[in-house]
Amino acid sequence: MRWTFVSTLSRGNDLKKRYRILGALVSLSVVVAACGSDDKGSSDTTSQGGGAAVEGAEITIALGSEPTSLDPHIVDDGAERAINDNIYETLLSRDAAGVLQPGLATALPTQIDDVTWQFKLHEDVKFHDGSAFDSASVVASVNRIVKLVADAKTDNDGFYKTLTGATAVDATTVNITTDGPDGVLPARMYWLKMIPTAAETSEDLSEALVGTGPYKFVSRTVGSDIKIEANADYWGDAPSISKVTFEFVAEGGTRLAGLKSGKYDLITNLPPQDVDQAPQPVDIQGQEHPVLILDTDEGITADPNVRLALNLAVDKQAIIDQVFGGFAVADAAQILSPSVLGFNSDLTPVAYDAEKAKQLITDAGLEGATIQLVGEAGRWLNDREVLEAVAGYWTAAGLKVQLDILEFGAYLDVLFDRESRADAIFVSSSNDILDPDRQLSTYYQAGGIGSSNTNEELSALIDEGRQQLDPAARQATYEKAVKIAADGSYFVWLASNSDLYGLSERMSWTPRVDSKLLVKEMSVTS
Amino acid sequence: MGRYIARRLGQGLVVIFGVTIFVFVITRLIGDPVKFMLPLSATPEQREARRAAMGLDASIPTQFVRFLRDLVRLDLGESTYVRGQSALSVVFDYLPRTIQLVGLGMLFAVVLSIPLGVLASRKPGGITDRVLTTLSLIGLSMPQFFLGFMLLIAFTVKLQWFETGPGPWTTNLILPAVCLALPAIGRLSIVVRSSMIDELNTQYVKVAKAKGMTQRRILGVHALRNAGIPYVTLLGWEIIRALAGYTVVVESVFNWPGLGFMAKTAIKNQDFYLIQAIVFVIAVIVVLLNILIDVAYKVLDPRVDLQ
Repeated sequence: MRWTFVSTLSRGNDLKKRYRILGALVSLSVVVAACGSDDKGSSDTTSQGGGAAVEGAEITIALGSEPTSLDPHIVDDGAERAINDNIYETLLSRDAAGVLQPGLATALPTQIDDVTWQFKLHEDVKFHDGSAFDSASVVASVNRIVKLVADAKTDNDGFYKTLTGATAVDATTVNITTDGPDGVLPARMYWLKMIPTAAETSEDLSEALVGTGPYKFVSRTVGSDIKIEANADYWGDAPSISKVTFEFVAEGGTRLAGLKSGKYDLITNLPPQDVDQAPQPVDIQGQEHPVLILDTDEGITADPNVRLALNLAVDKQAIIDQVFGGFAVADAAQILSPSVLGFNSDLTPVAYDAEKAKQLITDAGLEGATIQLVGEAGRWLNDREVLEAVAGYWTAAGLKVQLDILEFGAYLDVLFDRESRADAIFVSSSNDILDPDRQLSTYYQAGGIGSSNTNEELSALIDEGRQQLDPAARQATYEKAVKIAADGSYFVWLASNSDLYGLSERMSWTPRVDSKLLVKEMSVTS
Repeated sequence: MGRYIARRLGQGLVVIFGVTIFVFVITRLIGDPVKFMLPLSATPEQREARRAAMGLDASIPTQFVRFLRDLVRLDLGESTYVRGQSALSVVFDYLPRTIQLVGLGMLFAVVLSIPLGVLASRKPGGITDRVLTTLSLIGLSMPQFFLGFMLLIAFTVKLQWFETGPGPWTTNLILPAVCLALPAIGRLSIVVRSSMIDELNTQYVKVAKAKGMTQRRILGVHALRNAGIPYVTLLGWEIIRALAGYTVVVESVFNWPGLGFMAKTAIKNQDFYLIQAIVFVIAVIVVLLNILIDVAYKVLDPRVDLQ
């Protein structure tokens, strides 16, 4: 797996000047939706604290929204994960760069056959209630999620629908089975939180948070905060921070004010325009990829030259600088981040060439033709500004742009409409488990809910990649798949906006590519 | 009076029932909570399965029959936003903060509007009256989202006397309560003023004056009590509007996580069940408040016939 570190923080000062001139481009209120992008993250910049780590420190983290549930299996919610990632653990983990590592399992799984994966577990791991973590707990966790999927009670089908069950071989060995060859399984086991055996049949675990993690649940005040504290019996290295309060602060300006006043030690979703106000901003290229999905089958976008023109027409660097304040990386003609398996490093961003774009539109006889661009405003970072910039570039290329910025519900109706695809639909694609399968089957594969192409070869490659068990083979398959879409200009790729966090002066933390807020990786310096 | 209250409660049930059904119809016509519950990448099959699991695949009449059957047992369904909780329990989690806000706001309103109104009524057309009437007009015509932001900029951002978000009432509740109270003070003090002017021109006040009763006693005991009926009517209306409308704005501006804040979230996520539960609980409170106001009439003026 490859990844690149791109430092963007130095661009902050430049940004300040630019904002005086171009401030109008970026709206004052930056609202990033809770579930889509609240917990992204990872970074290239390590925060600098002075002095040694303080043992037993207490910190406060401000999140943009309150968890919609505290059950680790039911919802797909960044705020829920921000809490539960510290309370529960998974069989596998990822290092800060996104590479799979052992977690509660002692090593990566071995394949017994095409549909069976065997995990060896750490001994002497205990849940917060004192019960032992063993193969029975893994079986319980897998069984619970299989049932929740079957009953349509979890939002996380996409992560777990291939699982069929688990069997204990002995106390520390467990086999997990899938409904067919499933190369995504290790990544799924980086996501499935392990619960005590007794919790298997529980309808809702929101009131009983019992994991094996470095932190234990302490209390919750609905609408206000959740407190956790270090687990003294943790099996791994003891964390240095002893108590954490997560506060829910919807308003970005309030989060920033709290950070500046010292009330908060970490805030999420720091808007790029506020970077120079934060005591210690940190950023990393995460998984967020705003793109425009082009209809490859009907309308003026059915012509590959037109699709290429739409790509050439957009000045990505200007969007990076002016809309994202420099905190973004031009997409290399794919929606995968370099930290995700399948990233094709041979592809490069489509260079800005307004002249050529205009020529292609003229050659196609489409000068003055109307193109429909559908999007929404408020869910993703500076989405309205991105849409308006793109509309401007396409107009400059000689098209008449019908820009429809819709209310989110109405926007979803357009995105999900399988009967007729809009010429161009804006979406910001993200990747939680750092595996390409879901992202590609949603937006690249024919019939995917956000897909606007019917390329059977591409579709077959995405199916193949899912079923291959060897990571190297999967890598090769996905590289081929993303190249097909790049060559055919199935999307207009823009720029991957970085995850930005604000830290207090005393905090020391490096953000992660998977956007997890793991308090055990944080420390406070004196 | 007992029979009267029983009759009003009966009527209230009809109102609550009617409002709840109205909300049922409206939400079913415009929304689909599943669209907002599941991640963007959820497949159409997954969405269908969820709709089926929630019973939303049934026809509207079938859903309506189920809804009525559950309503009788006070089961308003599970919230789709706050997952795994009954919608009513979510309402009761957030309602106390709204009651605190409205309570403190209305306390401010009552404590200030009465003296201000009385003061203005003492010399109608005088300088005090004109200043107070102008201030009242400014207060009552200021939209709360604007007023709220002005208060925030002045007292939270510049002076840093107060904070936003949930927290102790001294630092976090006073400002939103003031924001809720100011327009109400404007409206209420105008009513106090005009009712007092009317009362002070009545025969009985003149007689009282003639027989040498002190100004204080005339105002405090006689005139004010008689001016009480229009005041209580308007105060009731203020409380109801605050509960059923203004708090949505004020709680959002000040990040006070009460029921208004939750109502906004429920609507944004098309959480039918939570919207229904919020409207249901507010309707119950409104009905009870109205009965309370009627009883207050009787207390203020024993001549009022509640039959």
